[in-house]
Amino acid sequence: MHKIAEVEVQHDIMVANRKLARKNQKMLDNNQVYSVDVVGAIGSGKTTLIEALIDAMDCNIGVIAGDVISKYDAGRFEKHEVPVVGLNTGKECHLDAHLVEHAFHDLPLGDIDLLFIENVGNLICPVDFELGSHMRMVVISVTEGDDTVEKHPLIFKDADLVVINKVDLADAVGADSDKMVNDVKQLNPDVQVIKTSLKTDKGFDEVMKAIEISISEN
Amino acid sequence: MHELSMAEAIVETVLDVAEKNDAQEIVEVTIEVGELTMLNPEQVKFLLGVLAEDTLLEGAEIIIEEVPVEIKCRNCEFTGLANTDGSDHYLAIVLCPKCNERNVEILKGRECNVKTIKIEKSDENA
Repeated sequence: MHKIAEVEVQHDIMVANRKLARKNQKMLDNNQVYSVDVVGAIGSGKTTLIEALIDAMDCNIGVIAGDVISKYDAGRFEKHEVPVVGLNTGKECHLDAHLVEHAFHDLPLGDIDLLFIENVGNLICPVDFELGSHMRMVVISVTEGDDTVEKHPLIFKDADLVVINKVDLADAVGADSDKMVNDVKQLNPDVQVIKTSLKTDKGFDEVMKAIEISISEN
Repeated sequence: MHELSMAEAIVETVLDVAEKNDAQEIVEVTIEVGELTMLNPEQVKFLLGVLAEDTLLEGAEIIIEEVPVEIKCRNCEFTGLANTDGSDHYLAIVLCPKCNERNVEILKGRECNVKTIKIEKSDENA
């Protein structure tokens, strides 16, 4: 004889990731490492911005470079002589707390003050996955279109800092960077939004300062 | 693909619970997916079907319940369901339905919760 039984499971996959993320943050805190999850679309300038911050900031920096298959970004960071772990997600469109925890094992956390975690270029999937970082910086550029914020609201809702990059190209691509700032503010009224051009250095000092302030307040 | 990793995590959870409860077969799985969770329920269902092959889960009915967005307004402290018009569910995270302020906190609508499973097991008392 057989019987049918209903079993209460109540296992939230998101909560499981969040628990791992909290564990990651604790590990970072124990090693006195402040971490920034850098998310943004492909080609928005995440890698170039992190490279510039490595060169300009007066602290020991490490990087986790998330990519789907290549080691290209990790190779760029290595040229700046900082500890780097390349994380190939293979089939995945985002980093998750579990992958990041593995990367910690290959980093000299005791020698790092500031860790940049460059997420996979994507404004959608990373929304669902906290990594355990202290700050989430979203980097977009005017070349993606000035409707980018409206089209991907959730990533901006959770952001701690938003960078609107390549503003020197706004006229050339017919984008209104003020509209992008306003769109972010509609979703996340208190977030700091900085317009940058890494070609002209516009806004770069502000980004660095925002991260330094956040580190000091942590 | 996002849905694939989520489906894998769901299958792992379901099979683990089923085995612990001495299931001979899994008949039904109910999953709650929040309206703001970045998952396409149809893709999740399809992938669960693929991953279920040759496991206790094969042939089980997959029920996906959508969880509506609940917010708390930081301005007027309204707590409850957000306004969604069906065509644009992101509206929910923009405005408080009571005072129209924009500073709202999302309380619900971002889950991917394996809620219950129905299993077939031998009836020892029969």
